[in-house]
Amino acid sequence: MRALEPWVVEPLELFLAESSARLTLLMTSSGQVVAQHGFSRSLDVMTAAALGAGIVASTEELARLLGSSPFEALVHHGVGQSCMLSAFTTPRGRWIGLVVFGPETSVGIVQLFFDQMVQQLVASAPRDSVPAPMLAENFESDLNASLKALFGR
Amino acid sequence: MNARNLLDRVTRVPGVRGALLVAATDGLVVAEHLMDGVDGRAAAALAGSLVGRLARTAREAGYQRPSFVHLKAEAGSVLAAPGSDDLVLVAVVAPDANLGLARLEMIDAASRLG
Amino acid sequence: MSDDIRALTARLADEPSSLAFLELAEALRRRGQLDAAAKVARGGVSRYPGLADAHDLLARILSDMGDLAGAFDAWTSALQLDPMRAAALKGVGFLYFRAGDVIAALDHLQRAGQADPDDPSIPLAIARVRTDVRQQGAPRANGAPAPSAPPPRPPATPFEGIEGGEEGFLLVDGNGLRLSGSLRVPSGEEAGDRVAAQLAGVSREAARATRILGLGSWHSIAVESPEGHLYLAAPTADTVLLAACDHSLPVARVGLLAERAARSARAWLEGMG
Repeated sequence: MRALEPWVVEPLELFLAESSARLTLLMTSSGQVVAQHGFSRSLDVMTAAALGAGIVASTEELARLLGSSPFEALVHHGVGQSCMLSAFTTPRGRWIGLVVFGPETSVGIVQLFFDQMVQQLVASAPRDSVPAPMLAENFESDLNASLKALFGR
Repeated sequence: MNARNLLDRVTRVPGVRGALLVAATDGLVVAEHLMDGVDGRAAAALAGSLVGRLARTAREAGYQRPSFVHLKAEAGSVLAAPGSDDLVLVAVVAPDANLGLARLEMIDAASRLG
Repeated sequence: MSDDIRALTARLADEPSSLAFLELAEALRRRGQLDAAAKVARGGVSRYPGLADAHDLLARILSDMGDLAGAFDAWTSALQLDPMRAAALKGVGFLYFRAGDVIAALDHLQRAGQADPDDPSIPLAIARVRTDVRQQGAPRANGAPAPSAPPPRPPATPFEGIEGGEEGFLLVDGNGLRLSGSLRVPSGEEAGDRVAAQLAGVSREAARATRILGLGSWHSIAVESPEGHLYLAAPTADTVLLAACDHSLPVARVGLLAERAARSARAWLEGMG
């Protein structure tokens, strides 16, 4: 498990231990990765983050069109493994969690401990500093720095 | 008998603080009748998961699927009666609950599921 | 010789294989004819070695004679045949108390109380032992025994003397590895290691469920299935004990046996350091 910010580590580690999730990705609503567990290649994490953020943006827009509140979570049930996407609000902005899990756990357990992690993230997020907006001119250098931190290389 | 009636039968037993119908594999609530202070979502997820693991343990011991489970703790118990179609009837009970009556009601109610 | 003893002696002479020896030995014991009572009881034990009543009676006679080591052995034999025999549990509890091992004494007396809740002497005995503990300070577990008392013997296995013994119980560590016991599936195949591997996860899940639901720490799990019962207890924070039994015993009785096995396992683990 690797995280860009240290205060994310403990809530995420607790979630991983309790949920038995295989893969987990925490990202901002724009797709910037905050933490990851289980991904072995940087390309995979970049693609998953981009797709996850896109799916959440699409469903939130769909909910808006339908006049309902944003969907709390989106679960795709597969045979060998399932996937949950859930957006939540933190003091650092809107974040998204992408969790892949297998039959060794259940969607109920994943959701239960995901919600617990969100509460802990909200409680432990630093209030005094707001991250700088992602600017086009430093996007590539920020991305490379993030990937290096997330994969240790 | 519908889910509401099944849950009512169980919650009428003295000491029962809540009853739920749970989709065991997913650990999600199908129907619930709970007193204040009982977290149905947590009970469904945790009881569903525990019953699943106990079923695997029983299978390794050469037994079939459990017909009744009683998890006893300091401040109460969790009771579970698996029915058909992956449904489990779960109850959260106080330490002074009439466990014998709750067990009979739950086993009978679970046999009517599905 | 009184009429009743004469009549019982005549009956036993006519029918040496009858159970009249129980009444005769008891009558002799009550009259204080302890040597004669012991002789009759020993004859009965040799004829009926599987009869818990015979061992229990012999133990009471030997206890009256002051042969506490002999009484201990006889009550232990009775408990191997009937683990919930209140009189034998009470007797062994008394002997442990005499030997200064108040922990074992309380353990046996509490089990006696579970086996016979209507016996008013058992709560009194428990209170007496507890008073002694308070007066003496710290419990004198395995303290200096009285000269004639039986030395407390650590069991060779955690389940020695418990109904089902090594075959129906599993003691598993926190990593799902078997510490003692074995379990056979109905077809006869040994399944201990496979079941043990599942049990570590069960313990964690049970602890998590009761904690999150506000029920405190978990105490036991009873699992009923069409083939029989499984009963789980936690002898220590790092171990799980499983008792398995067919339908010949009600699940609550399996629970009592499992609780007893858990206490025994706890003592066994402590003895192993």
